[in-house]
Amino acid sequence: MSEQAFLVLTALAEEPLHGYAIVQAVEQLSEGRMVLRVGTLYGVLDRLVADGLAERDREEVHQGRLRRYYKLTDSGVRALQAEVARLSANVRAASAVLRGRGVQPWTSRA
Amino acid sequence: MDEQGMSNLEHRYRRLLKVLPKWYRQDREEEMVGIFLADRSDDLDLEHSWPGWGETGAILGLAVRTHLAAGAALTSVPARVMWRGEVVRALGMIGLLLGVFYAGAAITNLVVAYGNPEWAPPITWWRLLELGPVVAFAALLSGRRTLAKVAAFAPVVLVVATLAQSGGPVLLWSLFQLPGIVTFLCLCLGFHREAPTPPARRLLWWGGGALLLGMLGGFATGTGLLAIALITVILRVVAFARGDFVLGRAVSLFALLQLAPLAFLFVGGEVRVIVLPLAVLLVLCAVAPVRKPSARPRVS
Repeated sequence: MSEQAFLVLTALAEEPLHGYAIVQAVEQLSEGRMVLRVGTLYGVLDRLVADGLAERDREEVHQGRLRRYYKLTDSGVRALQAEVARLSANVRAASAVLRGRGVQPWTSRA
Repeated sequence: MDEQGMSNLEHRYRRLLKVLPKWYRQDREEEMVGIFLADRSDDLDLEHSWPGWGETGAILGLAVRTHLAAGAALTSVPARVMWRGEVVRALGMIGLLLGVFYAGAAITNLVVAYGNPEWAPPITWWRLLELGPVVAFAALLSGRRTLAKVAAFAPVVLVVATLAQSGGPVLLWSLFQLPGIVTFLCLCLGFHREAPTPPARRLLWWGGGALLLGMLGGFATGTGLLAIALITVILRVVAFARGDFVLGRAVSLFALLQLAPLAFLFVGGEVRVIVLPLAVLLVLCAVAPVRKPSARPRVS
């Protein structure tokens, strides 16, 4: 799973979101590292919908503009859970190696 | 703002979205415009801004992935346009096999040059670039797309470098290289990140066959075009007999492309006795129906 897909799934795990809200949520979740362009966002959403991990939810008109919401499916929740388990295992392994070298696995952010 | 209340910026974004297929725009345009213009309320900004380069690049990428969609990556691709991506990928693969064929001939030439330095052109390191398509083929089958595209680009570099060195007639040489260049573009565009990895087991036979044929062809200089045109005709007949729509369309386009180097030879007044019948065969390949009239369409 790409980092983009992982972050979009994470954003949708909280509540159904429309496209612009997904862009904002991903930027927030990645602490500003990832700003999804519209072309990229729809590539990721198309793939998630095709794989059955996300689906279309309701539509709204906000200030004259269409907003379509997307939500996570049960398979999406399971896929996110599996990815979190995989990443956590990697983090645990890397942390153990760093501790073995006498280095703190976490650096505090300035 | 125009009478519909649309700003210049909105017009520009809508114009940019026209690169997407119509079926995709009908479903998504309003939603996308909404995101583009969210939080943009400054009048000066709305009148004078343009879509950024990054945004434009991302939309162009999406355009390639939707125009040449792989069925599994999108749920909403209409069946009537699904074949396009498959045909472009097949054409890219045919071009790569053509490159492997030439790489086979290059191997023979290198061996000959090593054994008989006085007969063949000198061996230089850059002639190794001729083997690029073999690397590209292996890389594509193992899912390393970027490496595949870079390696497939090697012969193109070689041609341009040779052209620049010799100072020959660029237009005619470009005609001669047209099949290679177009199929290289098909490879780059068709095998985007949402396209499936081609079936390795089946294609390995094709790749091995092309390499072997090229190595044998390397002994007989000057018959490359003839061999490739004849293989094209055979492939076209096989595609027709099997009712393989995608292969049939791809080989038809490949036959059309080969008319360009033949025209080059024809203008040069070379071997017209062979060139003319070959051209007729290739035109027949290009225009013949891709499936039997009675056969049930695979793509409707």
